[in-house]
Amino acid sequence: MLTPYLVGLLVLVLLPALVTLGMAFTDYDLLRPPSWAGLDNFTALVDDPIFRVALLNSVVFALVAVPLRVLLALGLALLLHRRAPGVGTARTVALLPTAVPEIAYGLLWLWLFNPLYGPINQLLRVGGEHGLTALGRTPPQWLTDPTSARAGIILMSLFTVGETFVVLLAARRALPRDVYEMAAVEDATGWDVFRRITLPLMAPVLALLAVRDAVASLHFTFVPAFVVTDGGPPPYATTYLSLFVYQTGFEYLRYGYAAAATLVMMLLTLAAVLVQWRLIRRYRRFYQL
Amino acid sequence: MSGLVLDGVSAAYRDTTVLHEVRLTVSRGELLVVLGPSGAGKSTVLRVVAGLEPVTAGRVHIAGRDVTEARPGRRNVSMVFQSYALFPHLTVVENIAFGLEVRDTPRGEARQRARAAAETVGCAGLLDRRPGQLSGGERQRVALARALVREPDVFLLDEPLSNLDLALRAEMRAELRALHDRIGATMVHVTHDQTEALVLADRIAVLRDGRVEQVGTPDEIWRTPASTFVARFVGSPAMNLLPADGPLRPGGEAPTLPDEPLEIGFRPEAVILDAAEGTPATVDRVEVIGEDAYAYLTLSAGQPVVARVPAVRRPERGATVRLDVRWADTHLFHVASGRRCDP
Amino acid sequence: MRPKPLLALALCAALAVTGCGSGSGSKAGAPVKLLVFGAPEELGAYRTLIDAYQTARPGERVQLIEASDRKDLLARLATSVAGGAPPDVFLMNYRFYGQFAAKGVVEPLDDRIAASSVLDPADYYPVAMEAFRWDGAQLCLPQNVSSLAVYYNRTLFTRFGVPEPVAGWTWNDLVGTATLMTRDDRGLVIKGTEAEGAARLPAVHGLGVEPSIIRLAPLVWSNGGEIVDDPQQPTRLALESPEAREALRNLIDLRLAYGVVPSDAEVEAEDDESRFLNGRLAMLMTSRRATTNFRTVTGFEWDVAPLPVYRQQVGVLHSDAYCMTRGSRNKDAAWRFMEYAMGEEGQRIIAATGRTVPSHVEVSRSPAFLDPDQPPRNSQVFLDAIPTVRALPTVSTWPEIEDLSYGILENAVHRGDKLDDVIRELDTKSRPMFARGEDG
Repeated sequence: MLTPYLVGLLVLVLLPALVTLGMAFTDYDLLRPPSWAGLDNFTALVDDPIFRVALLNSVVFALVAVPLRVLLALGLALLLHRRAPGVGTARTVALLPTAVPEIAYGLLWLWLFNPLYGPINQLLRVGGEHGLTALGRTPPQWLTDPTSARAGIILMSLFTVGETFVVLLAARRALPRDVYEMAAVEDATGWDVFRRITLPLMAPVLALLAVRDAVASLHFTFVPAFVVTDGGPPPYATTYLSLFVYQTGFEYLRYGYAAAATLVMMLLTLAAVLVQWRLIRRYRRFYQL
Repeated sequence: MSGLVLDGVSAAYRDTTVLHEVRLTVSRGELLVVLGPSGAGKSTVLRVVAGLEPVTAGRVHIAGRDVTEARPGRRNVSMVFQSYALFPHLTVVENIAFGLEVRDTPRGEARQRARAAAETVGCAGLLDRRPGQLSGGERQRVALARALVREPDVFLLDEPLSNLDLALRAEMRAELRALHDRIGATMVHVTHDQTEALVLADRIAVLRDGRVEQVGTPDEIWRTPASTFVARFVGSPAMNLLPADGPLRPGGEAPTLPDEPLEIGFRPEAVILDAAEGTPATVDRVEVIGEDAYAYLTLSAGQPVVARVPAVRRPERGATVRLDVRWADTHLFHVASGRRCDP
Repeated sequence: MRPKPLLALALCAALAVTGCGSGSGSKAGAPVKLLVFGAPEELGAYRTLIDAYQTARPGERVQLIEASDRKDLLARLATSVAGGAPPDVFLMNYRFYGQFAAKGVVEPLDDRIAASSVLDPADYYPVAMEAFRWDGAQLCLPQNVSSLAVYYNRTLFTRFGVPEPVAGWTWNDLVGTATLMTRDDRGLVIKGTEAEGAARLPAVHGLGVEPSIIRLAPLVWSNGGEIVDDPQQPTRLALESPEAREALRNLIDLRLAYGVVPSDAEVEAEDDESRFLNGRLAMLMTSRRATTNFRTVTGFEWDVAPLPVYRQQVGVLHSDAYCMTRGSRNKDAAWRFMEYAMGEEGQRIIAATGRTVPSHVEVSRSPAFLDPDQPPRNSQVFLDAIPTVRALPTVSTWPEIEDLSYGILENAVHRGDKLDDVIRELDTKSRPMFARGEDG
């Protein structure tokens, strides 16, 4: 019964992954046959300032965006787990951005971030004069200032937490009701309930989602950087590993070199999965009840 | 002064009324058992007292305070849930101290009192374990200790023994009673087990379909059931009920019966099997439980009757016996209302 | 090398997944596959070209493969070559064909040109033909030849009473004109450098120019400088000569000193081409390519002027060519199509889009290009520039070098990085890219 899946896995995932693995040790430009390069690609990567920037950008993105994303999804899940009027609509709204095709989502944000005519900065300028905000500050130059652009990419990612939200919603709804009633009888405050009950009970799920998100963040930075910022503002403010791999591989035809960078990405993923595995083991006893 | 008063309390779940003007008074230091079949609204009574369900009518007073509008935490009650509701991520001592710590009791003192409460219920050896490592009985003790650690006005126990096996249940039942006698707390204990109710209770409130059918001491409930429902529900096997003008005429001095349809009830142990004269019946089945035997009989008119006899004198299956009851051992009920009739 | 067949097999699997390779051999009569990218009207022109070809030569079939942009075209071409099923013909700019030329992907055409009864190399502008010679071999046939020009909004010039640019105008004239044309919403001359936090933003900017090496190059050349150390064998971007430095500083000053070009935020908000289309940009320095778009303008009159001059008139070559892949299985049919597309008829059809200056000398001088009813009236400017155009170095790593220099120059123009740092950065960071490259 598993055969079709295994064949698919082998042909569609493992084989290309292995090929990439092999390519990483070759000099290959897609046009001429690959030639063995040993560790040249990797030593070149170490010295490549663009790669280092991309790696740093990816790591910083993961460190900032992932906790924010998980917290936001958690907040939404806790806000929307009860039955109440309007909750169904609110859940749909929370999910909606995730359902928008990535490219369309990127184009939408390109419009939203438009520094002069975009709705975000129009809104920020309300009450201000001469194109400044009400506080007399220049509104963020989303697409031209490196810090604002990085923040913008993170902001974009915050609205696509639909999947995480759904998982957390289910996790919250699966928590036993009487534990919360117990807390109510003991007159625990909302903060106590969150800190002493909800958070520890959901911690394993949160940890798993954070790791999953960190792995996924290596990929979901691609489209925003590709469509919205094009890796800029210069130099390379939003060039993430994924974009770096795409550019070196398919635009500059340094396929072997891109494969080496991909291998680094895979190793990062592997490290994240190991962390995830350890977390599962550590929290497993909570589920013994 | 009363520990707890429910004054005409009604409650509803969605559109269905689950409690109908329930009136109950529990004295301070009393152990009241709310008994009833599942779906009778027993747990709702507890939840209304704890404030976990709103009332649609009536008032709730705890220790003389009207707490009808108060939130659960302001009612000064402790609750033991059927599932125990222990926090899986906390150790036993943390679980017990939880109520104190969220009420800003200093950590050291909270731990101290938690340890003391654990000793009271005999789980002091488990303090550093987590709920996942405990047996059912141990969890039950921890839940009890958690309820004990504060000094609430009322303890609410929602079927705390139902998840235990039979032997453990009997043991915990006795311990619970002893604990109550020792601390003298006001307790409301919900169960569907009539034995548990009879053993534990100072008084029993029998609940049926959200209404209080009868409130009384276990003795009163046993000896003067207020309705056919109570009569059938309390006692195992259940009380025999036959039409009063039916095939069986009790012996002894007959009371003057009112001129309306009545049912006559008598417990299996009231049946005299080897009467010289009496109503004939066939033995369908005999169950022996130790010294006792229960004989399942069918009267010639077709009604079933259960009789308890000493095992050594049990009839053979298929045999014909003559059975008799004394008027003194019978109960009379109005057929129309099911209520008790005391002529 | 043992693992090679295995690698090839695995690669095929990988590429089958991406849908690039069909792997099947071409049968006789299979359509010639033509890979292009472009705006909808350009793609429309290619369809017209193909229809005309198929009508003129019954039995011939051409299949158009559309890429979404240049980068997509490069990726598709590379992956399809790797997958063993490349298109038969593709269209590519000389700045980007180097990596394919160097790696033997492009079929040399000299024999076919010599044998052709239809195609005479003398019919085409030599500078364009030359740009596609690699190691002495003619690899591709240039479809067009263009240069930079200054588009300007005549209606705005008339309204503000500013003289229109004329041939032979200098860089100083450009700066002066742009300064006079930078106006606020009351129509008063305003300095755009005060834009950030200033009382008023320019409603019209004097000039739009992309801070890229391909815009900078003709200015440097005109001033007598070079952009690389050795035009024949470049090893780095070299802008440290006084001439190059001056041209670069002047370009940066447009933004930082005079504020006549839109700020980076303004460019992000509305790119230069849209700004010009919306009548809010007086002049725009760009190639012939913008013409198609500007022909949709109805609200104002516009025209083109030649590039301003430092010391001598120099332009930069823009040219795309039809290239045949070495891996094509349909070379003869592909060549017949190329002959047609390069012939007068084919050139006329593509010229009708307005996007390109035909590489065919006669067609470029015919109404197909110089149609007086179609703006710009002064299309002759493009033809006049051709004798003065120079080509950029064709290095296989040129796409990387262009991206690199764009980032550095953009920061220089909009952020005011120190000129010395800019020049040094262009030098040091481009070195490894040139070193990896191969030139023709």
